[in-house]
Amino acid sequence: MKMADGSTILRRNRPGTKSKDFCRWPDEPLEEMDSTLAVQQYIQQLIKRDPSNVELILTMPEAQDEGVWKYEHLRQFCMELNGLAVRLQKECSPSTCTQMTATDQWIFLCAAHKTPKECPAIDYTRHTLDGAACLLNSNKYFPSSVSPRVSIKESSVTKLGSVCRRVYRIFSHAYFHHRRIFDEFEAETYLCHRFTHFVTKYNLMSKENLIVPINVGENAASGESEA
Amino acid sequence: MGTNSGATAGINNKPVGGATGAGVLVGGGVGGANSSIGGVLSNSLGGGGSGGLSISGLNAGGQNANVGGMGNVGGDDGGNGMVGGGVNNQQATTPQYTIPGILHFIQHEWSRFELERSQWDVDRAELQARIAMLLGERKCLESLKSDLTRRIKMLEYALRQERAKFYRLKYGTDPPQLNEFKPSNEDAGLAGEVATDSEVPYSSVSNTTWRQGRQMLRQYLAEIGYTDNIIDVRSNRVRSILGLNNNAEHDGSGGGLGGGLGGGTGGENLSPNINGNESNKRASETEGRHTPAKKVQQSIDEIIVDTEAAVMANFEFLGATEMSDDDEISDDLEMVATDNDDTDVKLAKRAKSGKDMLTEEVDGSLGLGELAQLTVNNESDGAYDANSKDGTGGSAGGAGYRKTWNAKYTLRSHFDGVRSLIFHPEEPVLITASEDHTLKLWNLQKTVQAKKSASLDVEPLYTFRAHTGPVLCLGMSSSGETCYSGGLDGNIECWQLPSPNIDPYDCYDPNVHSGTLEGHTDAVWGLTTMQSNIVSCSADGTVKLWSPYNKEPLLRTYTASEAEGAPSSVDFVRNEVDHIVVAYNSAHCIVYDTETGKQVVRLEAAQEMSGNTGKFINKVVSHPTLPITITAHEDRHIRFWDNTSGTLVHSMVAHLEPVTSLAVDAHGLYLLSGSHDCSIRLWNLDNKTCVQEITAHRKKFDESIFDVAFHATKPYIASAGADGLAKVFV
Repeated sequence: MKMADGSTILRRNRPGTKSKDFCRWPDEPLEEMDSTLAVQQYIQQLIKRDPSNVELILTMPEAQDEGVWKYEHLRQFCMELNGLAVRLQKECSPSTCTQMTATDQWIFLCAAHKTPKECPAIDYTRHTLDGAACLLNSNKYFPSSVSPRVSIKESSVTKLGSVCRRVYRIFSHAYFHHRRIFDEFEAETYLCHRFTHFVTKYNLMSKENLIVPINVGENAASGESEA
Repeated sequence: MGTNSGATAGINNKPVGGATGAGVLVGGGVGGANSSIGGVLSNSLGGGGSGGLSISGLNAGGQNANVGGMGNVGGDDGGNGMVGGGVNNQQATTPQYTIPGILHFIQHEWSRFELERSQWDVDRAELQARIAMLLGERKCLESLKSDLTRRIKMLEYALRQERAKFYRLKYGTDPPQLNEFKPSNEDAGLAGEVATDSEVPYSSVSNTTWRQGRQMLRQYLAEIGYTDNIIDVRSNRVRSILGLNNNAEHDGSGGGLGGGLGGGTGGENLSPNINGNESNKRASETEGRHTPAKKVQQSIDEIIVDTEAAVMANFEFLGATEMSDDDEISDDLEMVATDNDDTDVKLAKRAKSGKDMLTEEVDGSLGLGELAQLTVNNESDGAYDANSKDGTGGSAGGAGYRKTWNAKYTLRSHFDGVRSLIFHPEEPVLITASEDHTLKLWNLQKTVQAKKSASLDVEPLYTFRAHTGPVLCLGMSSSGETCYSGGLDGNIECWQLPSPNIDPYDCYDPNVHSGTLEGHTDAVWGLTTMQSNIVSCSADGTVKLWSPYNKEPLLRTYTASEAEGAPSSVDFVRNEVDHIVVAYNSAHCIVYDTETGKQVVRLEAAQEMSGNTGKFINKVVSHPTLPITITAHEDRHIRFWDNTSGTLVHSMVAHLEPVTSLAVDAHGLYLLSGSHDCSIRLWNLDNKTCVQEITAHRKKFDESIFDVAFHATKPYIASAGADGLAKVFV
């Protein structure tokens, strides 16, 4: 993509790029992005710049379709949750966590199967992420033919809420049963903080379901100290 | 004993009769199947296996079957000798009817029946093999027929063109030479008669006409200066074509036919008298048709006659042009054209009766060079599949392979760009690696049903999670059991592939992730496998050779001078064991000996040394069979290097934007390239021309396509894009 002023900045990760230089290029203003993936690019750019600045990351640009904004954020959450799942895989085994629990009050049933069943926590985590990946990439609900990443039909937006509810349980299980992993991950990514903020802001989950104690009103800095 | 063997022979005869009946049916049937000629031929011949089968004459088949039957009877006799003896003994003691005696008798009877049954089984298998062979032959005749029809259409067209040309050129220049020309006109008529004649070729009248026509034609040819010598040259050519066809199509099918044909054509000098005799011989042979030897002779005769006809037709045409009479020429050529039509019908009929494909071959080969080319193209149409399987694609595939690839499967499940993909060596299975930190396993046979769009959606069967950053490269063991991935986190993860039929929502099996190779201190960008070893290159400046399941997996590290910069891509040199080729940021490739760690060759072009900026190599691949290295460059070029001399062999602008990825098919005939211009291109490696371009992916930032791949054994190609999709083309 050529910049308007004539100087050419190529935003590419060429083979051989060092990991510290990966995606390290000057920010591109959203209005100059002509790609169909502009929203994703924009969000990733903000996260790359400062993952703790949750407020800025979640601030929707003007003239942005809200459905697409929510959809792209949720994709990004599910993608980053892979990182938490990788960490959980090392510690959370079917023998230690036979059920998907969060505190003693909550047991979650895995919705990936024909009849929901009590999968072990790690299976629940994987199944939920895989299921979310399928749904969010589904040609049926988010068909590419009508540019899913530019506009989304209302009926599909309602699907986002249930995806949010399910993936949130991964945070809650990690928080209550693998606190060390949760804290390490959160310190790096601020993901749960951002997620809580996101679902509250866009009203995708009810407050009583948000059982991980993160004060939504707090700013990013306090979120960090809490983690 | 006698009755036994008689009965067996009778039994044997029955199925044989059935087989011949079936053969007739097979020959007469018209199927829609149109398959690769070479493939079918070799199949059917392989199935047949015995000499003389390729003649495909029904009588010949019958003869063979009878011989087989006789052989069996002989065996039967041997077996029954004992049985008969037993029965006779039995009869001597018959009045007593002792229990042991009866048991003995029953035992013998039983064993006899068993013996017979096994013989029947053998017979049945033989006959089934023959049916398969005949079916195969029928198929190839069908396809030959359609080829021929096309060729004749082409010929007609060519003739019309020629006619028009001559009409234009010669109009009004020469006076008509009626008296010279009429006979030749008549000849054409005769040729037409001959054509119809050969459907009822055994009446004496037609023989006379035939002979007369031939003599007349020869006379005229002599008049216009075409002497026997020239005709002999022609016939020699025909013979050589015949010989060629024999070799190509009847290879390994027993020398019987080849020898017979060679003898037949060898004795044939194509002089008019002999031709007349031949025709007579043919007539007389019809009575003795059932003998296979004569049958062969007859088919040869037919070939010769047809050849003659074709030769004559050609000469007629030439002669006519010499005489240069406009109106008459038109008529004359018209006649030739009709003649061809007749031949077409005739040949089609002959094809139906399953006689000889050689006739058609000869006729076809006599056509123009253009037509011959057409044949090649026809044969290689859609033959890629077969070629890639039996490995004979070298000639046909190179010449006229026109398969166009169409997007069939869209693999959507990754949340971010797909950096790499790799096919399973045998199964329709592939693995993708993405910047979303995961790898996914896909089975192309498990598609999601009933989507409106033409392309099918595939859902991933398994998600591999272990990397803590984007996954950048993939490798797979040659057995397809193990897969390796390198990531931005500097690790190489080893995976045992789950079954391609796994339930996507099965329980987590920690053993799928079978190990981590730690050693690189920065992003791993290139990974490739050779037998049990893998080689990786990393942004930390090193290239490492690993044997993943050793106690000490790291075998060796190769480091180039600082000036070369970091390696960007690596591949094993496929035709030279123990060599690897590494591309560096300096836009040079270095070939290392893996054993000694020494640099063997440096691939660089002297005159291009000055301006290496922007020539950055995104991908290097080694040709599977030749000592050639192919590199994909940031400056939109694809370059070809000679591994032995290290020189630049060929350089071409291949895309509108940087070329990011390359893949060579297993036979080394085609090159696939992907670029940030959103397209993938297929190149013919022979002449370095682009065969097909497909726009496949969308851009994310300034990146589009990250990887392309060929399936080693199945007709699939695939591309992976920054838009998070992978696409498979068939």
